[in-house]
Amino acid sequence: MDALTLIRDFVCSHSEIDREKVVPEAVLAEVGIDSLMLLEVMFEYEEKTGVKLPEDLPTPVTVQDLIDQLDRLAPGSAS
Amino acid sequence: MSKAPRRVAITGLGVVSPWGSDVDGFFDRLLAGQSAIRHYTTDDGHLSMSMPAVHCPEFDAAREVGRASAAMDRSAQMSFAASSQAWRQSGLPISEQPDRGAAVYWGTALAGTLTYEQGYREMLLKGRERVPPLSLILGMNNAAASHLAIHFRLGGPCLTYTIACASAAAAIGEAWQAIRDGRCRMALTGGADSPMSLAVVRAWEALRVLAPLGERGAEAACRPFSSDRAGLVLAEGAAALVLEDWEHARARGAEILAELAGYGSTCDASHLVKPSADGQYDAMNQALANAALAPADIDYLNAHGTATREGDPIEIEAVRRLYGAHAAGLAVSATKSMHGHLMGATGATEAVVCVQALRRNAIPPTAHLERLEPACEGVEHIRGHGVERTIRACMSNSFAFGGSNSVLVIRQPSGD
Repeated sequence: MDALTLIRDFVCSHSEIDREKVVPEAVLAEVGIDSLMLLEVMFEYEEKTGVKLPEDLPTPVTVQDLIDQLDRLAPGSAS
Repeated sequence: MSKAPRRVAITGLGVVSPWGSDVDGFFDRLLAGQSAIRHYTTDDGHLSMSMPAVHCPEFDAAREVGRASAAMDRSAQMSFAASSQAWRQSGLPISEQPDRGAAVYWGTALAGTLTYEQGYREMLLKGRERVPPLSLILGMNNAAASHLAIHFRLGGPCLTYTIACASAAAAIGEAWQAIRDGRCRMALTGGADSPMSLAVVRAWEALRVLAPLGERGAEAACRPFSSDRAGLVLAEGAAALVLEDWEHARARGAEILAELAGYGSTCDASHLVKPSADGQYDAMNQALANAALAPADIDYLNAHGTATREGDPIEIEAVRRLYGAHAAGLAVSATKSMHGHLMGATGATEAVVCVQALRRNAIPPTAHLERLEPACEGVEHIRGHGVERTIRACMSNSFAFGGSNSVLVIRQPSGD
């Protein structure tokens, strides 16, 4: 599963926000992902991929920021 | 000079019940003497549950609460659903900014027990090392109250009462006191519990106070005041009431369903689980005095009546003592015989029953009461089916492990 799909699925299951509003340039807080929900998204990502996210990740502002972070840490990623 | 106490109007009701989220439908079933108690089973090997219980299979959180339900424990979902009904009936708007004159007073005994148990299962049975980050937020005792405050923009006190089986009655009573004293203008109040976690059920079983299936089957498992009563039946659900300053409700043209007229609160201060007629008597007496009513003004008592061997006779002893010559003509029923014991929510559910009894001038029965316990004689037990009766005022008793007693008096909304 790619990171954008995971984020969209999460938003649709936790809020009334439409899936199509979860676009890369959207601000996370404006699509219902506040600091608390960000922890839950990261937990879901770890559960689904087996990747342990580091504790010191910078706080992402937009959906694209979060996608970039998750993609960099995804299995098979070069970094 | 102190101000005169304010009157408190009830302008909205809501329930999550085993027969759906509909106050009138719930009350109709009770009037007909129908029991919602079923044989509740889970299939989990040596950790399975099998007992009479009341479950709400029709409750659909996604439909009744929406996607926000994903961040709520089941008891908070039920709180939200019942409160939404009550709010709609009240006709109150939701303000844009938090309303400091509007409060939440909520009751729950077990709150997020299902969430916590899920965490234990994940770690101890599945070998996981951690639980989802939302677990704490879902499970905390004040989660439901906070969700209600956020959604309905209630910016005054947001308080959760947890005194076992008297939790919701205490929450309603304390909301009454706050409005009566002028500390807030309105309150969303009530309670919820969803107690069917394995640890909670096993703990109740260990106390030997849960009713067994017995020869008469699950539906008749809870028999308050009966000589063959065999214990209580766990139930899940929620109930909500909107309380308002009487003049506020009148000024906006709201339909006043009933008046919450009195509240009594005592503690036996004698034993953790053995009830005291003295403590119960004093709580009922306080509630009557606060309502400025005499025993003869009460036409219906919704008893705590859990069907335990010890509890029922003590309650009736206290009732006989308080009501004196009027006791023999006092209509009494224990509706837990049909909707079960909703733990921290039971006082709210039974307060809704009382408001409905007043509105419909009809009294629901104690179901399955065929052989009256001699020690429970001395009042008019309504048995089998409901009866039509002019009701001026009701009393609702809620008594808890720990010795807390909470009593509400609700009356017809007459006068200015």
